[in-house]
Amino acid sequence: MNAVRDDHASAAVTTVVLLPLLLTVLAGVLQLGALRVAAARVRAAADLATLVAVNDQDDAELSRTGSLRLAGDASDVAREYFERELELSEALLAASSSEIAAMADIAAYPSAPSVDARTGARYQRPAVRLAADVPVRTPVFGALAFHPVTTIGVLAVSSPR
Amino acid sequence: MILRAAAFALALLATGASPALAWDPYDEASGSPEPPVSAPPADPAPFIAPPPGLYYVTDTYVADVVTVSGPLTTYTTTTIHESTGSYARVLDEVGTGTLSTFDGAAFNGRATLTDGRAVAGTYYENYLLTNDGFVPVSVVFFQDDAELARQRANTPAPGASSAGPAPVAAPAATGPLPTGTCCGGKGPGEGAEREPRDVDPPQLPIRPGVSLAPASVPLTRIEVLRGRVVSIWLHAFAGDREVAVRAWSLASGDGGEAVSTSGGGATPFRTSWARLAPPGSAYELVFRLEVDTPETGHRLVDAHIAVSVRSPALQD
Repeated sequence: MNAVRDDHASAAVTTVVLLPLLLTVLAGVLQLGALRVAAARVRAAADLATLVAVNDQDDAELSRTGSLRLAGDASDVAREYFERELELSEALLAASSSEIAAMADIAAYPSAPSVDARTGARYQRPAVRLAADVPVRTPVFGALAFHPVTTIGVLAVSSPR
Repeated sequence: MILRAAAFALALLATGASPALAWDPYDEASGSPEPPVSAPPADPAPFIAPPPGLYYVTDTYVADVVTVSGPLTTYTTTTIHESTGSYARVLDEVGTGTLSTFDGAAFNGRATLTDGRAVAGTYYENYLLTNDGFVPVSVVFFQDDAELARQRANTPAPGASSAGPAPVAAPAATGPLPTGTCCGGKGPGEGAEREPRDVDPPQLPIRPGVSLAPASVPLTRIEVLRGRVVSIWLHAFAGDREVAVRAWSLASGDGGEAVSTSGGGATPFRTSWARLAPPGSAYELVFRLEVDTPETGHRLVDAHIAVSVRSPALQD
């Protein structure tokens, strides 16, 4: 009977001691999951922005040569749609969507072939490339002595095939 | 009760029975007769295959005509638009100076240029449909050639002095020949450039053109985005100047979501493509243009354009 009482006491002590650790691990896992969700959303936003940007072509060039050349505002269109898509996830972001979109490195290559100065990639067709660093809030990581803001790098390239 | 029911059923069977008249092919012992053999149907009239390439004639040969217009001498053939119930087929298409196995077979002969070379044209054979099938009746030559006086001057005619210009020789068949057996309808695979005409304008070559604007450079290939509406304008050129297109129609190819597959010369072909062509290929469109001007006559030409449909895609 005394041995049982002793076991109860040690279980309570163990729980009290380990509970913070368990809660910390749980919070870290949840934060990691949220970060992955945010990364997926940012990547989708970049992909969509470049796809929309290449879905327009220069009519004058089409009439003159018959070849496909991107519209002159392809970069602006990509930036605009990137901002619009990020607005949907603004609660996860550590900066405003307009600031992030304004800082994004967006390059349009209206005609092919062309070489991307940033990545060195060679494009055989007209292309739009978007590269951005997106700061995402990670408060749990901050509470755990990590950075409260995690930056996600995203790169998207789209071209008409 | 059972006996009465059985008797009723037996009676019903007996009254409703009919002979089967079956024939047992293996029952040789019983000597049963062979099944009645019906008389074979009479053979239909034997099918007489027409010669390949035969077509019904709608334009009849009238005469060979030589037209001298300045330095240009044109050798053409006039026809009249009528049907005499006969048929024809192309025997041979010959170029300038090219010999043919049918030389001398045509009732209207084959004229020669001033340098002695035979003119270009087409040999047709005329047929009449009789009870015995298609019977060839004659061969006619449709001349279709031209020469420039400058060329004649540079090319000494046989027997002519090279110092002076060669005289314009009277062609062998300048006078109007009596309307002979028919020929000259446009056959199914013939090029439109060879179509005989009711009038005798000079045979200016017609060059088709396709552009994406009413006044723009002709294109042979275009790249358009999927779903994008484009207007394709059809043009025709005679020599170095544009002539009016009377009408056009989409002869072959996938026209996509076209508003219309035919129209007048002032109307573009408006369409968009919702589907991509198979990988590595393009939509090959062929438009048939109808040109009918005093300087060209009534002509049909085909304009070609390849359309590559693109769609935005992510790159790895």
